[in-house]
This record gives sequence, C-alpha cells and structure tokens, in this order.
Amino acid sequence: MKRILWKPTMSEIGYLIAFLGLMGIVPVFAPSALLYILGLTFIFIILSVSWDIMVGYTGEVNLGHTVFIGIGGYITALLNVPTRLVDTPFSFIMSLPKLPIFITIILGGIGAALFGLLIGAVTLRLKGWYFALVTAILPLIFIKTTLVFSSVFGGEEGFSIGLENLIARTTVGKYYISLIALVVCLLIMYGIANSKIGLTFKAIREESELAESLGIDIFKYKVIAISISSFFGGIGGALMVHYRGTISPDLYDIPLMLLIILAVVIGGLGTVIGPILGGFLIYILKYWILKGYFMTLIPYWLPINDDIILYSLLIVIALIAPHGLWNKIKKLYVSI
Amino acid sequence: MIDLGTTLLIILYGVTLGGIYALISSGFTLIFGVSRILNFAHGAFFMLGAYLSIIFLRSLHIDPLSSAIIGIFIVGIVAAVGYKLLISPVLENKTMTIIITLALALIIEQLILLSFGEFGISYPSLISGVVSIGGIAIQIQRIVILIISMLTLTLLWMFISKTRLGKEITAASQDPEAAILMGFNIERLFILTMFISAVLAGLSGVLWSQVYAANPFQILNALIYAFSIVILGGLGSVKGSIVASFIIGFIYTGVTTIYGAHMADLVALIIIIIILIIRPTGLFGVEE
Repeated sequence: MKRILWKPTMSEIGYLIAFLGLMGIVPVFAPSALLYILGLTFIFIILSVSWDIMVGYTGEVNLGHTVFIGIGGYITALLNVPTRLVDTPFSFIMSLPKLPIFITIILGGIGAALFGLLIGAVTLRLKGWYFALVTAILPLIFIKTTLVFSSVFGGEEGFSIGLENLIARTTVGKYYISLIALVVCLLIMYGIANSKIGLTFKAIREESELAESLGIDIFKYKVIAISISSFFGGIGGALMVHYRGTISPDLYDIPLMLLIILAVVIGGLGTVIGPILGGFLIYILKYWILKGYFMTLIPYWLPINDDIILYSLLIVIALIAPHGLWNKIKKLYVSI
Repeated sequence: MIDLGTTLLIILYGVTLGGIYALISSGFTLIFGVSRILNFAHGAFFMLGAYLSIIFLRSLHIDPLSSAIIGIFIVGIVAAVGYKLLISPVLENKTMTIIITLALALIIEQLILLSFGEFGISYPSLISGVVSIGGIAIQIQRIVILIISMLTLTLLWMFISKTRLGKEITAASQDPEAAILMGFNIERLFILTMFISAVLAGLSGVLWSQVYAANPFQILNALIYAFSIVILGGLGSVKGSIVASFIIGFIYTGVTTIYGAHMADLVALIIIIIILIIRPTGLFGVEE
C-alpha cells in the first residue's frame, strides 16, 4: 500500500510531548498580555507553515497567501453573522440553523482551498513567474471587494463577530484552544510534508525536469500543494477571527504576508520545523519586543519603526542565510 | 448616457494615464527581460522619483524641472547600487530576489510614510494653463505629460534598437548564456538596465505626482498595476507592455468616470485575471 502519511519516529513523538508540556505550563506563570500574544503566535505559526508547504516545498512563490487567510476569515465571520448577507444572493444562509464555530472554521478552510485550487489550476500550468505575479495582484483585488461591498464585508473597519462566537471567553481558554489547533494542524502538515507527496513536492523543487521525465505530473502536484496550503491558510485566518472577535481587511493585507515570509525565511524554507521557530521568533519580536520596549529606545526624529527593522532583518537574513536558521542549526548539529 | 464631452475626456485622461503606465511597465519589463529579475521594488522607485524631486525642490530652492532631473537621476543611482549590493548576490535564487526587492519596497514605503505622512503631495506643474478642446477644459500639463511619455518611449525604442549598448541588452535578454560566451559583461549590462528601468519609473513618478498626487500607498498600487500590465502585454515584451498600458489606462478612466474610482481598480484587475485565464501568455508574450 502506498504510504500516505509518515510514520512518526520516537524522537519526533518525544519532541511533541516536550513541546506540549512546555507550552502547557506557560499559563501558570505568564502574564495575561503575553498569553494573549502567544495564542495569536500559535495561529500565526499555522499560517507560516501552511505558506511553507507551497513555497518551501514546490519552489513556487505565493505572494497572495493572505487572500486564502482572508477568505477563511470572512467565510466563518459571515456564517456566524449571517444578517450581513441580507440583500445578497447568499441571504438564504440567514434562515439556516446556526452552525457550531468548529464547523464554520473548517468551512472557511474548505472555501480557501477551493479558491486555491482554482488559482493554481489557472496559473500553475505556466512555468516561471506567472504564479508569483498573479498571487501578488490578488490581495489588492480582495481588499477592494471589502471596500466596494462594505455593507457585507464592513469596509476598512471590518466588523465584530460578537462575544458569543469567540473560541473561548478567557485568555487562558483561548491560549489552550489555539495550542490544540496548532498541534492538530502541524501534525497533519508535518505528516504530509514527510509523506510520499511531500517528497514529490521536494523532487519538483530540486529537479523539476528530472521529476517530469520520471513521469511525475508536476502541474497536478503543485495544484495539490496550493490546495493544502490554502486550506490551512483559511483555517488559520478563521481561527484568527474567532480569537480576536473581529475581522477586517488587514487579514488580506501585505504586512501580514511579509510577516509570514519573514518567519519562514528566517526559520528555513521547506522544513516545517524552521517556520515554527521563525513564527515564534518573529511574532513575539514584533508584538512583544518591538511594539513594547524597543521602540521607546529609538529617538523620535529618526524615521525608523518596527516594520523597517523587521524588513531590514529580512533582507539581511535573505542575503547571509537564504536557507534559514533551522538548516544552520541542523548543520551545526551534524558537524558536532 | 455618455455624451461627446465625456468621451473626449475619457480618451484624453486615458492617454495621459496610459502614457504614465507605459513608462512604469516598460521599465519593469525591460529589467525582467534582460535579467529575469522580478523587481518588486519598481513601484518604490516610481514614488521615490516623486519624493526625491520634492525633497530637492524644497531644500535646494531650484526650479521644478531641474530638481525633477536630479531626483530621477538619483533614483537610477539608488537602483543600480541596490542591485549591486542586494540583488546581485542572490541573483540565482528566484525566491530570494522577489523577497528582497519586496522588502526593499516596503522599507521605502515606511520611510516615506514616516517622513511625509500618509497624505498625498503634488509636484508643481512644469507648465500651467488650460486649453479648451471641443468645449471641455484641459490642463496643458496633461498634454505635456503625454508628449514627455511618448518622447521617452521613442527614445527608449531608439536606444534599444539602434545603439550598440541597446543591441547588447536585447541580445542578453534573448539568450543570456550566449551573450556571456560572446564576451559581454553581463553584470555591467544588468546594472545599466536597472539604472534605465529605475529612471523610467522615477520619471513616471514625477509625471504622476503632477496630475494625481504622490502618496506612499502608490508604491504597492503602482507595482500591482505594473504587474497587471506586463501580464496583459506578455512578460518581457516592451511592445506588449506599452499597448497594454493604454488598454488599462482607458478601462481605468472609463470606469472611473462612469462608476467611480473604487470600481475602477476592481474592474481593471478582474479584467486582467479574465484575460489571463483566456490567454495566459498575454497579448504579445511568449511561453517560457
């Protein structure tokens, strides 16, 4: 039988238990503000790893991942606040019984995956740069839709989904639920990445002509990759909405895209583990350190903000360590 | 219904916008054609042209024309140095080239945002005044912009097809490996092309900020339009980019006049996606 998923090794199970144990006890001593950011970090890691599944594993640069994130977010938000759909072709949803949040989040992922499939089917047939260019255009189109159809999407401000639709009422509850979501998503994505499919993705990235001559349908596998990637992007976006309680076009926007790129590039493209480390590092750096303490050290007359520091960091990392920190660590480990 | 005056207005505004787009996107497609670099910082060079000219205008107390020339020239220098320091070391790595140029674009955006704020700034007109054509008032400035962009595009075409350096650029874009074997200094050609490409972007930025306004958010907006135009025209085809620029220019001004600016962005971009589905290689593109 073909091996669909990977079989975990003992050390992988050990790392997972250690990670769960460590993260499980954090709420005991961490302040609530840090806990809130950590919970968001878990969701952010889902987004980063899901981007890596496409870009790191197949080598096709997806610059519109935020579109999938936003689609997932808006689907679950609208399913939970269906009154916004009045006077649209979707107004029938208002008369349907309300679905549990868990289901609407999954539906957000499915909606994103379907759109990913469509975009992939159209653009991935062409080799080269079309996928990067088209995905770069998409976020702008989707941001515009939120402004044009602001009665549904809430325009620039977005809209609130209401307290009853949060994934949990307390910060600690939110923390644990997003930790569980992270572990579930990671197990599936890590499993796929280390399965036969994941290896095929890598073969396409490394030697696309050789892979093609071996009878691998490159187009099909790239479309599979973008579908998986956009599914988890959508799930992450939907979780973000139920975590924060609001949705706005910032889920579609370029700064989030750059933050994801930064996390994955720093961690190491095509490694899954790298983006997890990178995701932690970048999200905490941006929302805890730079926003909190660091910016007070910069004199007011200097035109520098947290974004400039992060983008400069990205350029430096891309120049000196294009394979990311995780690969550097692995190399060190091997050489010892 | 649309009357004659409105039609005339759409045509005139459409050519002005199309001319500016043609300058932006031909520069973008030129550097891509030669070096296969997707320069995501191209939109930043576009706005940098406008803002640097404004800085020189304010600090050096010179006339708008001289400060625009200095500003545009410096954009070219910034791009050439940026290429040498940031892009050249990772040229072989497609993903990193995209990421580095995108990060550079966002750094420039943030720097402009912090120094000038988010509100638009206009560049003083080189020539003021209004003429009346067919009963509607038209700023002479718009006609000047049209002439400048046509002139520049003609010069670009003459440079590429008539001079030795231009022919080297064409040769390198058709077959980089053969060009290296023929003894071309590819690195020098890339730097030169990057300079020309950024000068075109900087010039269009100055022209843009005379009829519209320079605004840090235009960096990404212009980039997206440059992408759309080169996809429509066919990646790497300068001729395709110019034709596509005018198509997009007309669609944009037409929809803006009739339905409003928000709709214009949406319609223009959706049309591009549709064309891409029907004809993925664009109007004049060749399959890779």
